Amino acid sequence: MSGRTGGPRGTGSAGAAPRISHATGDRFPGFDVLAQSGHWDAVTAGVVLSRVGRPPDIRFFTPAEEAAATALCDRLLGQDDGEPKVEVVPSIDARLAEQQTDGWRYADMPQDGQAWRDTLRFLDSDSRDACSRDFALAPADDQRAVIQAVQDLGAKDWHGLNAAHVWSLWTRYACTAFYAHPSAWNEIGFPGPAYPRGYKNPGVNAREPFEVADAAPADDPVDGKDR
Amino acid sequence: MTTVRERNESAWLLPNDGSRTNHRLRADMRRFADSDTVDLVVVGCGAGGSTLLQRLARHGWRVVGLDAGPFWDPDADWVSDEAGSHHLYWTEPRVISGADPVPMGSNNSGRGVGGSMVHYAGYTPRFHPSDFATRTNDGVGADWPIGYQDLRPYYEDIEQELPVAGEDWPWGDPHGYPQRPHPVGGNGEIFLRGAYAAGITAKVGPVAISNGRFGNRPHCVYRGFCLQGCKVNAKASPLITHIPDALAHGAEIRANAMITGIGFDERTGRATGVHYIRGGVPRFQRAAAVAVAGYSIETPRLLLNSASRRFPDGLCNDFDQVGRYLMVQGAPQTAGRFDAEVRMYKSPPPEVSTEEFYETDPAQPYKRGFSIQTVSPLPITWAEHVAAQGHWGARLRRYMSDYVHWSCLGALCEFLAQPGNRVTLAEEKDRYGLPVASFSYSQCDNDKRLMRAAQGVMERILRAAGADEVITIDRYAHLVGGARMAADERHGVVDRDCRSFAVPNLYITDGSVLPTQGSANPALTIMAVSARAAAHLAAGGR
Repeated sequence: MSGRTGGPRGTGSAGAAPRISHATGDRFPGFDVLAQSGHWDAVTAGVVLSRVGRPPDIRFFTPAEEAAATALCDRLLGQDDGEPKVEVVPSIDARLAEQQTDGWRYADMPQDGQAWRDTLRFLDSDSRDACSRDFALAPADDQRAVIQAVQDLGAKDWHGLNAAHVWSLWTRYACTAFYAHPSAWNEIGFPGPAYPRGYKNPGVNAREPFEVADAAPADDPVDGKDR
Repeated sequence: MTTVRERNESAWLLPNDGSRTNHRLRADMRRFADSDTVDLVVVGCGAGGSTLLQRLARHGWRVVGLDAGPFWDPDADWVSDEAGSHHLYWTEPRVISGADPVPMGSNNSGRGVGGSMVHYAGYTPRFHPSDFATRTNDGVGADWPIGYQDLRPYYEDIEQELPVAGEDWPWGDPHGYPQRPHPVGGNGEIFLRGAYAAGITAKVGPVAISNGRFGNRPHCVYRGFCLQGCKVNAKASPLITHIPDALAHGAEIRANAMITGIGFDERTGRATGVHYIRGGVPRFQRAAAVAVAGYSIETPRLLLNSASRRFPDGLCNDFDQVGRYLMVQGAPQTAGRFDAEVRMYKSPPPEVSTEEFYETDPAQPYKRGFSIQTVSPLPITWAEHVAAQGHWGARLRRYMSDYVHWSCLGALCEFLAQPGNRVTLAEEKDRYGLPVASFSYSQCDNDKRLMRAAQGVMERILRAAGADEVITIDRYAHLVGGARMAADERHGVVDRDCRSFAVPNLYITDGSVLPTQGSANPALTIMAVSARAAAHLAAGGR
C-alpha cells in the first residue's frame, strides 16, 4: 500500500504471504501469490513486496487514534481472530501523512486527515456512552455494535457529519489497504501482478498452471442465511 | 489515400527491444524558450491536447504542450498493481456537492502526458448520428453546431491510428474496424452467452488495444491491468499514439508544469500565452495562440482562475457559460454469481458491449438510453462493489473470497446536460495558492430512470447466462462538457471549430466542449473533435 513511500524498508523475502483465512476457510489451498514473484517486473515487485515487509512507522495518528483506527479497521475487515493479520493502519496512516487522498472530498466533510481524526474521536465518545470504555478497549461485540449504529444511520447525521459519507471514508481506505496485500489475494484466489507474463488461459473454468481451483465452489455467500 | 504510418509514425518511433519508451526521441526534443512566441501553446497533453499537438507539428507549427503531471515511462513509472497506481490520477483536492455528488480521482481524472487515456479501459465507440441533435429529435439535451458527418472522417483516421479492434459495428452509423476483435475471457464469454439467451445483440469491441503487433507496439498479453496503465504498450494512449510523432516533428512537451493562468492583453483582446509553475518557479510561455485541453474540471477552473478587467468573472465567461452543462454518465455496475470460475481479472476489462439500448425508445418513460459493457474490476474496486451492498466484517471477507465466481457488467447511461451541474471555484486553495474546483451534480428524473432501466437489462443478461444472484453498485463514469460548443456565445463557450467566442486566438480542444455525451466512452470523440479543430487551424485559423 505504501510501497512508494518512506525510507528503506524490508522488501520481504518473497517467501509465502501469511495465511490469514481463519474465518473464511482456505478456499484456495496451497495457492501463494508470492510464489510467482520471480516472474514480475522489478518495479512492480518493489511496490508489492514492500507490503509484506515491515510496515511504515506511524506518523499521522496519535497513539489514541492509532488504537481506535486499528480496532475500527479490524472489525470492518473481519480481522477478529488474532494473528497473523494484514496491518492496514500503517498504510492508511502513511496515506494521510502524505495527503495521498482519492482526489476529492464531500463538501460536507473535512479534508480526509481531519475527517479520520474527528470520526475516531466520535467512536471513542460513542463507546464511552455505550460501555464506559474507549473504543479500542471495548470488547469486539461492543465495537461492532457501535460501528453498526453508524451504518444504520444511512445518510443521517452522526456527530454533525453525514454518516454515509463517514462510512464511505472508512471503507474506502480500509478496503484499499487490505485488498492491496498478497495475503488477501491468496484468500480470494487472485494472482496479483501479471507483467510481463500475462495470461494464456482466459475463459470460464480455465486456469493457468499456477492458479488453484476453488475448493468450495458452491460456498455461495448469497445463499441462505447471508441474504 | 495515405497509410497510417505516413500520417502518424508514432508506433514506429517506439523501441522494438522490449522497452517501452524512446528516450533518445525525448532527449533530442526541440526546446523553446519562454520568450519565444510559439505558434501555439497547449494546456494539457491528454486525448485532446496530444492530438492537436501532433497534427499541428505535422503542419510545421511551432508548438509546446504543457502538462501538470509527468512525462511517463511505462517501464519505470507504472506497475502491474491496483493500489500502486494511485499516481496516475489527478488527486489534487476537489470538493464535490449537489444532490448526487460525483467522486473524482481514479475513476475519471488523469494526470501526466497521455491524460486519462493512460488509465481508461480502452473502449473507443463512436457517437451515434442522433447524438448531435438530441434537442431537435428528443426534446432533451442540446444540438451540436456540427453533425456526425463533420466528425466521421476524423473518427476513421483516429480509429486507424490507435488502432481499434472489434467486430463490424451495427449501431449508429454502421462501420467496421481496422483490426479484428480480440479473443474474450471469462467475463466476455458470460456477457455473450447471456445476451444471446436474452435476445440482445452484443459485439466484441470496440477496443483500442492492438490485436497483433502494430508498428513496434507488441500484442496484448491479456494481463487485465488496463486501468493501471498499459506496461505493454498494447493499449492506446496519446503517450504512444500521438506524442512520439509530435516530437519527431518538432513539438516540445514540457511536463510537470502546472498552468496557473492564461495571459490576456486588455488592449488587443487576445491571449498572450500561459502562466505556469515548474519546479516552484513561476514562468510565462509566450504564444500566438492558446489551446486549453485540461478536461472538464480543470479547463473551466483555469478559465475561472484567469479573471481580468475585461473578464471579471473568468476568461470567456461573459454569459455565465463557463463550467456549466458538465456531464457524467450514470454507470451502474451489476455483477452476477456463477458456480463456475469466471476469473474476470484475466483479460482486459474492455471486451464486449451492446448499444442496442442507446437510442430513444418511444415505449419507455425516458429519453435517450444506455450502453452495456464488460468491466471486470480488480480486487480493490471489487471490494468497493461488495461493500456498497452494506457488507462489512466477516461477511465482507466471505463475499470477497468468492471473487473468482463473479462476472461484472457496467452500463453507461446518457445523463442529460443541465446548467446547474457545474464547476465553480471553492474557497479551499491548492498548493499553488489557486482556488480548487467545486463540482456540483444532481440527477434529473430522466437520469434516474435510465439508471434503473440499465440495471434491469444487466440483471436480465446475467440471469440469462445462469447467474444465481446479482448485486449492483451505482457509480458514475467519464466527464464531458463544462465549456461546450454552441451556435452562439449565449449558449456555449466555443464555436464549431473549438474557438472561444470571446477571445479569437483561444481554443478549447478537450472533452469539455462536448454538448452531449451519448452512451459512448468519450475518448475517441474527444480526439476526433480535436483533430477537426486542428484541421481548421492548419487551414488558416492561425
